[in-house]
Amino acid sequence: MTDQTASNSLSVAGQRLIARFPFVPAAIILVVLLALNGWFEPRSLSFGALRGLVSTYLALMLLAMAQSYVVFASDLDLSVGAIVSLVNVVMVTVMQSLGGDPLMVLFACVVGIAVGVACGLFNGFVVAALRLQAIVATFATSIFFTGIALYVLPVAGAPVPEAFWLTYASSYFGIPFVFYVLALVLVILTLLARSGLVIRILTVGDDAMGAFHSGLPVTAIRIKGYALCGLFAALAAMCLTGDTASGDPLVGGQMTLNSVAAVVLGGTALSGGKGSVLGAVIGALIIGLINSLVFFVGTPSEWQNLVQGLAILGALMIGVLVSRRAQK
Amino acid sequence: MTAMPKLQLNGVRKSYGATKALRHGDLSLDAGEVHVLIGSNGSGKSTLCKIVAGSVRPDGGEVILDGQPVEIGGPQDAKAKSIGIFYQELSLAAHRTVEENICLPSLPLSGPFADRRAITERASRYLKLFEGVTGEGFALDTPVGHLREDQRQLVEIMKTLATEAAILIFDEPTSSLDRSQVERFFAVLKQLKTEGRSVVFISHRMDEIFEIGDRVTVIRDGETVGTLKIGDTDQAKVIALMVGEGATPRSGAEAKNPATTIRSDITPRLSVSGLSGKGFRDIGFDVAPGEIVGFGGLHGQGQSSVLRALFGAAEVAAGSIALNGNSVTPADPRAAIRLGFAYVSGDRGRDGVIRGRSILENVTPVHLLRAGQRLLDPADLKQKARPALEALKTVFAGYDQPVTALSGGNQQKIVIARWLVDAPQVLLLDDPTKGIDLGAKADLFALIRKLAEDGLGIVLYSSEDNELLQNADRILVFNGGRIARELAGDERTPYNLYHAAYEAA
Repeated sequence: MTDQTASNSLSVAGQRLIARFPFVPAAIILVVLLALNGWFEPRSLSFGALRGLVSTYLALMLLAMAQSYVVFASDLDLSVGAIVSLVNVVMVTVMQSLGGDPLMVLFACVVGIAVGVACGLFNGFVVAALRLQAIVATFATSIFFTGIALYVLPVAGAPVPEAFWLTYASSYFGIPFVFYVLALVLVILTLLARSGLVIRILTVGDDAMGAFHSGLPVTAIRIKGYALCGLFAALAAMCLTGDTASGDPLVGGQMTLNSVAAVVLGGTALSGGKGSVLGAVIGALIIGLINSLVFFVGTPSEWQNLVQGLAILGALMIGVLVSRRAQK
Repeated sequence: MTAMPKLQLNGVRKSYGATKALRHGDLSLDAGEVHVLIGSNGSGKSTLCKIVAGSVRPDGGEVILDGQPVEIGGPQDAKAKSIGIFYQELSLAAHRTVEENICLPSLPLSGPFADRRAITERASRYLKLFEGVTGEGFALDTPVGHLREDQRQLVEIMKTLATEAAILIFDEPTSSLDRSQVERFFAVLKQLKTEGRSVVFISHRMDEIFEIGDRVTVIRDGETVGTLKIGDTDQAKVIALMVGEGATPRSGAEAKNPATTIRSDITPRLSVSGLSGKGFRDIGFDVAPGEIVGFGGLHGQGQSSVLRALFGAAEVAAGSIALNGNSVTPADPRAAIRLGFAYVSGDRGRDGVIRGRSILENVTPVHLLRAGQRLLDPADLKQKARPALEALKTVFAGYDQPVTALSGGNQQKIVIARWLVDAPQVLLLDDPTKGIDLGAKADLFALIRKLAEDGLGIVLYSSEDNELLQNADRILVFNGGRIARELAGDERTPYNLYHAAYEAA
């Protein structure tokens, strides 16, 4: 009897913990994956290796953040990858035509952000105002955005000015630039989690009809969610551009579903109304660590995709089991 | 004369397709009064409230606020015009906390950020009004999804109060509350009255209406039929107004379908005793071969839950079910179908019609299950489907026509035909005529009577009292998940039905 009450109060505590911090199961998986990586390849936990991990996956983390704000409202954006590509080629083209002057690079970044937000607003208009199905509508806009990207830069390979990618790869006061970005991202997501807008986005995702009845401007809120998504997709494009140091009109395409997977791995419900952006960031890292673990374990190259897929399924299952257990 | 009314509705109308939800809604609401709206299921009360709250746009009629004709463009507009509403179906976000939900309509912000302190402060002001009656596990930071039904209703009440609107509409705010919670709520309403606020209050509990109301407006079949001062009237008068004059003892309707004399020596088709589950308790009744037993009462008193439980679609916690004298346990719909249960739901979209498929495919699934066929011969299936469809006088162009091309009434006939290919033992009808036109209804009930004459046991739940009075041999009136009263023979009058349904549980 006392055993049962003890386990009950424990599960109540677990339930509260996960209700408050839905990313807890993801964080546990992250720690396990880090440990496994270290087990199979001790050097993978070195400062340099972690820096490499962050600089490779920073773009995906930001893209998962972007996707979160849409998923919160129970929408979906299948065009985030195409937005990344478009912003990438627009920025590279602007930098190329204006020269590598730091001021011009900054200007190119501003243009990139504007393009990202514009794409987001367009998606929001199509989905929330015209009321087209989010999945198919954003699939269509992704093709559309890719089309523009191919028009802007038909062939991959245009180089990025040194001022840009050197900054991304450099260190300040002994700390790599990407770590500053990561810290900034964490600060921004904490602040955004407290914003009235994100609370409203979550409310809409919870029960759109209820939100409408409560007098919330549901359409405007959903459009703002897509705009936020576009903004963070543009930031993701900047990181990707810093990492790859070139323009490529198709570079973001495969990141779209990775971003959705990262959001779900982070404990966010695709049905909306519930989740955490930090979870999505952790989810992106989980995908990165799985990829590197598959490599460190020494999987033959022809089997790597298969093992990767199974490992992501496994991580998803563990996440579900942990949260279910806590809710029982 | 008294001062100008705060809000006035004149001849407000609203139709959904062919259904006229509100034909002629009038309402005159004064400042500082609690005005009760009453009417039977589907009489148009909620539609009237939603028009005032802006979530439904009227097709015609006048809305006058503070003497000025206005158009309420949407919930946001209603909020701007100082109108707050408690939604019967609740408008809460399950994953948000109690305090966030209370403050959601106008979230306190400091800059772009939610002002946590202001949210807690404002929410606790309204929580204080219900201190001591909120029950276990109710705190400002509890996610609403973790709360019980009555607690969620309290949050919706607090959310409505937090709008601080001059006009507050409460659409069945007390349906899940216990006595102490209702008392506290009424104390709050009385306080609002002294502040000069106007309250519209909908409830089905007569005692509550007479306890808190100043005036009562009665709506019948989408029309306002009168407004009375509570002090000048009594329950019988209000019920008489709801039922309508001349409707009181309508023996003519029953004579058309004289109650079949049931011989007690015949084994009942269906015999239920002590059945309990989610939403119903201790239900017991028999259905003889050839009998139509009606389930009556207000909407959502457990009628549908009992039918779904009998069909194996809802869990049964206790009790026994016997079919032709043999004890059975329909664990899921497949088992129930094999035993000989048939279930027709009014919610065709969810439970009945297979959208986008042909008529033939919509008629045959039950037959395929019962006959256990694996390989199909369409010609043979058409042979089997024909008598069932002919019996229903279904008009259709061909077996391959998509079922959604038919009208609502004809779709429902197709769904019923599905059960007639192999004769069932018991037919469970769960508000089968929802959204069906009058002509099709008459056909349906003629068919149901004919099926009864063939020896089926039929249970009919209808949210329209007239359908029950005209078609059921006996009516079991549900109230709060229990059978409150059984009406048989001459007792089957609109008055008795209303009275039993509206009695405090």
